[in-house]
Amino acid sequence: MNSDGRMQQRLRHEAGALLEQDKVDRIIGFEPGSLKFTTTPLITKIKDDLDRLVINPFIVNNLAVFLPGLKGRIAIVSKGCDSRSIVSLIQDNKVSRDDLVIIGIPCPGMIDLRKVEKLTGKDRDEMDDIIREGDKVVIREGIRDEGYGITPDPYPLTLEVSDVLFDNCLACEFPTPQDYDILLGEPVASRQSAAGESVESQESRVESRGEGDSRAKRLQSEASSERSVSGLQTINYRLLTRQQRWGFWRKEFRRCIRCYACRNICPSCFCKRCFVEESEPQWLMPVPRWQENLMFQVIRNIHLAGRCTDCGECERSCPMNIPLRSLTMEMYNLVGELFNFKAGMDKDAPPLMTHYEQEEAEDLIR
Amino acid sequence: MGIKKIAKKDIGNLLHQWGKDYTILVPSTEGDTALTVHGSRFTVHGLWDGSDVNLDWHRNTVKPPKSNFLPPMEEMFRFQKGKEGHSIELPQEERRQLIFGIRPCDARSLRLLDMIFTDVYQDPYYLPKRNSAVLVGLVCLRPYDSCFCTSLGISPGGSDDVDLLLTDIGDEFLIEEISDKGKRLMELTAGLEDATEDDITKASEAKEKAYGKVTRKIDTQHLKDKLLSSFEDETYWEKVAAKCIGCGICTFLCPTCYCFDITDEKVKKQGARFRCWDSCAFSLYTKMPMENPREEKWQRVRQKVCHKFEFYPMSFDVIACTGCGRCIRLCPVNWDICQTLEGIRDRGGDHQ
Repeated sequence: MNSDGRMQQRLRHEAGALLEQDKVDRIIGFEPGSLKFTTTPLITKIKDDLDRLVINPFIVNNLAVFLPGLKGRIAIVSKGCDSRSIVSLIQDNKVSRDDLVIIGIPCPGMIDLRKVEKLTGKDRDEMDDIIREGDKVVIREGIRDEGYGITPDPYPLTLEVSDVLFDNCLACEFPTPQDYDILLGEPVASRQSAAGESVESQESRVESRGEGDSRAKRLQSEASSERSVSGLQTINYRLLTRQQRWGFWRKEFRRCIRCYACRNICPSCFCKRCFVEESEPQWLMPVPRWQENLMFQVIRNIHLAGRCTDCGECERSCPMNIPLRSLTMEMYNLVGELFNFKAGMDKDAPPLMTHYEQEEAEDLIR
Repeated sequence: MGIKKIAKKDIGNLLHQWGKDYTILVPSTEGDTALTVHGSRFTVHGLWDGSDVNLDWHRNTVKPPKSNFLPPMEEMFRFQKGKEGHSIELPQEERRQLIFGIRPCDARSLRLLDMIFTDVYQDPYYLPKRNSAVLVGLVCLRPYDSCFCTSLGISPGGSDDVDLLLTDIGDEFLIEEISDKGKRLMELTAGLEDATEDDITKASEAKEKAYGKVTRKIDTQHLKDKLLSSFEDETYWEKVAAKCIGCGICTFLCPTCYCFDITDEKVKKQGARFRCWDSCAFSLYTKMPMENPREEKWQRVRQKVCHKFEFYPMSFDVIACTGCGRCIRLCPVNWDICQTLEGIRDRGGDHQ
């Protein structure tokens, strides 16, 4: 049995005990989804349902999003990033720690199906199996559509884990939950790889190479090549001119349909009534023009300062594949640089934007 | 009925030819920003110049074709306040559209939308666009595992709702004339070859095979009545709705959802009125004119399901779902309408 299997077995056992001993009213976890390589949130009070609980490389949702809407005592399955969201919700008084049993999963990173699809040239439903074996991911042969120009590839195909994890998983600083009552496995170390390279080191790398007139050009080409294999382009603002940024986002946000999946999937977007829906005063038109769409994201992002834990759910949920993480990461990094603050690390700390300390840099307040 | 064919490499020329009379809409990826993994997730708007032919479009687009007739945002008119009161300027008439590569399920969805837009009143925005459009269908050879069109009387090779139907037969497309509109278009089209018996056999084999690939099924028998008798079952609907996050993906990207909201935008003395997509999944839906009668999330989830499988059948005697599977495959929490319907069916009740 691999480590997911062991954790899964223990999870079912622990969750069952919690319900049986009446320590919680509800369990929030994952069960197999209705499509291949998907899982779906399981929110249940029934012990028999717990046999469906799973842990695998596709438990992508940040389950903390359900907490503010539920009453009673809850046991929640939580990966590293989810636990930070839970802590952040506790800081914001949306959830009480006393009502929670956090079942922590030391998270080895989640598999981004878009990346697998891109690398294999096959869609999710055309693959038979995606198995994680340590640092490798093995893809088993898919259904081949004879006669329609799909050339057989060498299967099974072995890919590097670092090529198929979500970008935010590759950059994950805290894969092991920050706060938990039960930890299902051994803690996992921070997993910052090339994809998770900090802005500073990227800058200094460019800095050291750049010289004279060619520098700007090099910066630009470097910036435009920052494309993740998932096809989503992660842009580094500090490498782009203002004009280039406008061009980039105009193109991206023209696709936005304002379904608000990014907001609704986000545990930190807990407002009962979102500014975007206010009509008196009307902050933003509901008309999905790119300018308004971008503005919506910018304002949302500002509201998330000190709350965003880089769980990546906004970007994953977007049906239009808008690279929203490029925006949220910028805020995430800024919050780190300006306030030396990381969201969801300390449940007893006040939320970042609700208090002021005298020693804070004065040029922030004007 | 004439059956022609065209080499795939000549599709660019064909579309260029048609582009003289129509705004051509093709499935494509958008630019190189790369949205995607599937070569066909987006429909590009605007006049297509015949370049950038992406022939790997065997899968359906993310945006349904309703977005070409009931766009996410539409300017209804502009207004200006002068000395003698308000003056109104209507939008200019748009060019006729030719939708190339529309799937049989999506073509059916337009037929379903027609019912609502011609029911109590003739919608002056939707209908002119719809009536002048030509639909060039494409047999759906690679249905997703979320597709269940065959349970709703639609075939991935179906020609019921298109004007022309293309079938991929290798290096060529077979082109069948279906409607009078399609026939007229074909008469004006140069550069097509006659199809051989062999081509026709190949195409019908491909269609049959495609039909077999739709493995997901739902049972629609007595569904309307069962939904009716389950309407008040709060426990069931609450359970079903528990994981829904209440976003607009499944309704906005549903080919048969048509709710819209009307907004005025005014700067000083001039402005415009827009209609934009709205969704019964949103908690603020209809809040402006009155109250949202569906305060709880489970009521909104129930509304979406019942509208398609209970209310539409009551009004128009047809289910307002084409089984395109978008709501399942694009849902961020994998909320699956088929499972909900299965639960309703399994409840039994008095309508066996």
